[in-house]
Amino acid sequence: MDIMNIIVCVLLFSGLFFLTGGAVGILRFPDFYSRLHPAGKLDTLGSLLAMTAFALFNLHHFSMGALLTSLKILLIVVFIFLASPTATHGIVDAGVRAGLAPWTKGEKRR
Amino acid sequence: MKIIGLIIVVVTGALLIYAAADFPAWSDPASPASTYLSPHFIEKTMEETSVPNIVTAVLADYRGFDTMFETTVIFSAGVVCFFLLRISRREEEEPETRYYRHVLTGVTIQLKEGYKIPPSDDFERIDAAWTPPDLIIKTGCRILIPFVQLFALYVIAHGHHSPGGGFQGGVILGASIILLAISHDLRTAVRRMSEKLMAILCAVGVFIYAGTGALCLLLKLNFLDYSALAEVLHVDPITARSHGILIVEIGVGIAVMATMIWIYNNVSSAGRYRQGL
Repeated sequence: MDIMNIIVCVLLFSGLFFLTGGAVGILRFPDFYSRLHPAGKLDTLGSLLAMTAFALFNLHHFSMGALLTSLKILLIVVFIFLASPTATHGIVDAGVRAGLAPWTKGEKRR
Repeated sequence: MKIIGLIIVVVTGALLIYAAADFPAWSDPASPASTYLSPHFIEKTMEETSVPNIVTAVLADYRGFDTMFETTVIFSAGVVCFFLLRISRREEEEPETRYYRHVLTGVTIQLKEGYKIPPSDDFERIDAAWTPPDLIIKTGCRILIPFVQLFALYVIAHGHHSPGGGFQGGVILGASIILLAISHDLRTAVRRMSEKLMAILCAVGVFIYAGTGALCLLLKLNFLDYSALAEVLHVDPITARSHGILIVEIGVGIAVMATMIWIYNNVSSAGRYRQGL
């Protein structure tokens, strides 16, 4: 149980925590816009943490090949970090343009 | 008519189910395919074609005919989409009022019939349903699209060593242009990759594949036997097979990319090439 394993476990479990939160949020929030909130933010952060954990775990037996694979995983992190919020923004934008009014307190869940 | 169709479908289905009983059992080691065909591919692919990825070698070399006609199917899908959906300029009524947007200031000008605007890069033609492209989405896609295209080229070129090849890479390349059409607007994407170019590239991709096969025929070997290319490429016949696979994969990639964009343009604008998804 060296220090690397502990860091990987902490990252992985915090990633899983955020992903679970995102899934619960998508199920529980009342309308389109608020459901996109956990889908956009928590999924990005969750997969970011989990991917970083994978990249670190891959470096356990250090070699140039392993380093290259870790760098590729980190590239995935970068692209998720760029693409996921942009996509969420685009969906919200389309909803606003289509004229969907946001949910207010007291209304029925939809 | 419907009843005849139903009878045909039921009879064909029954025949297929009846024929399925004659298949060898699932993962049967004594079946004809696994007694000599699969072991041959697994053991001999590297010495015969010098391609480490068996799937690519089987797809583009051992059963190259099949893949060539798959590419042709994709080509015909694009052409059929074009013929069914495209509304030609003559039949299409030019709307009475047209809209132009001054790019620098964002001012929209409405032109009645009979009036024209001087040809200039400052004005772009827009449609009544036009919505200003969002800055965040535009910038995000502008950052991502080059990487997407780079990855697509990697997938095509690296098909010999890892999962990938012409079909996958072509789809990713096409998706990058479709992303441009979604994030900006259809006119921007069509200005980059015009309809005529798509049609030509579609045919060029199939032509590269079939032309490689015909070249092998001209060099006194069988159709699509790439070892004939050894004379042209100045390599030994085994490396020539590897290079031949790369050439046809590039052809497949071009055809798939062009067809994807062509189908998207026709379907998303209902053949009018205006906005209005």
